Amino acid sequence: MGNNKGNRKSLSQQHVCSRMNFLYQASNLMAHSNNNTLAAYYGKLCRNVGTKALIKISPTLKRTLCRRCSLPLLPGINTTLEVEQQQTNPKEVEMATNTSSKRRHRRLRGKRNECHNKGANAISSKEAASAVSIDEKTQLNMECGLCGANRRFHVDTRNECWPERAEAIVHVIQLGNQTDSDGNKGESEAIQEQR
Amino acid sequence: MERETESLKEFLTDLVVPHHRCNVNIIPDHITMLHGTKSKKQHSRKRRAHKSNSLTRREYAELGLNTLPTRQMRYEQALPLHKLWRGYIREHLGLKEGEEVPQLHEKRYDEFSRQLVKMDLHGAKLRVHQSKCPTLVGLSGICVMDTKNVLKLLGEDHRVRTIPKSECVFSLHVDSMDFIIFGQHLNMRPAERSVKKIKNYVEPFM
Repeated sequence: MGNNKGNRKSLSQQHVCSRMNFLYQASNLMAHSNNNTLAAYYGKLCRNVGTKALIKISPTLKRTLCRRCSLPLLPGINTTLEVEQQQTNPKEVEMATNTSSKRRHRRLRGKRNECHNKGANAISSKEAASAVSIDEKTQLNMECGLCGANRRFHVDTRNECWPERAEAIVHVIQLGNQTDSDGNKGESEAIQEQR
Repeated sequence: MERETESLKEFLTDLVVPHHRCNVNIIPDHITMLHGTKSKKQHSRKRRAHKSNSLTRREYAELGLNTLPTRQMRYEQALPLHKLWRGYIREHLGLKEGEEVPQLHEKRYDEFSRQLVKMDLHGAKLRVHQSKCPTLVGLSGICVMDTKNVLKLLGEDHRVRTIPKSECVFSLHVDSMDFIIFGQHLNMRPAERSVKKIKNYVEPFM
């Protein structure tokens, strides 16, 4: 994308950007005041405005909204975040290797789910006794309080999203020089252009 | 389903010359039944399509996300939203302190009025100025929800009221400016309004 063209485009979309910024902040505000319905509604609207105007939210911000219901995920307020236990049962894998690959997957999937339930129970009982040890391989489980969508991720990932790297940003445009006097949290939305 | 494909296999094998019958190999995934049952492949495709991680409209409604409780929200809860909105509208319209509404002959009038239609109404303090329905006149409150045909205003008596857009004229107060907005022209979904092309000339109301 040419520099000049990108400039013009971002300037014409500035109002949409500020609107999305406002909606994102509003949804966070509502989530903090325990009004999940409105929070999800504003989050969804923020997303919809983006899709209509063909603007992409930066991935780090995008991931703070729930994948299913667009509720801003705030662990401790409307989301549960817990450590999950490793469940690799070598016996089951051996048994499954005899059958065809398709079947193995299906069987494993079923078994995994069972294990999850067991694991969850184990955690709750274990947490009472002692804290679970956390190393690089532990998985975290995040459950949205509104729609119950689950997200799992590793504690330590070396993987990095491309737009998060410094080389991905061509130039940063600052919108609005005035300071937020109204005590906005200042989610300053820098427009990032990707190569 | 198994039985159906079995009989089909039998039929196909019967067609082949007897001494070649041992070489017949029929893969059940490749059989597509035109009526009656569906093959394994068709079943699995359907299941995969069903597994999507976005909410369907029905699930969305079941979670109660389309409705707002009438009496549970307090007016004070919406005040921070209004504060946030004031900051937003100042940024959106490019306002400075003590600025007046541009006159019709001024250059920026067109651009200004276009931006006015595109603005977001969530958090605005609105007041019904004029309406076809006399009971609606004079209601005021902070707008909390904006759908295609309806605005939901949270009044100072801690009640959420639903007000149809197309029948009403709203008045809006920003800093030192007063606006009169014809609800007729707001009659579209809030997400679509920000990208919609707006005609310069609009028909007057009523």
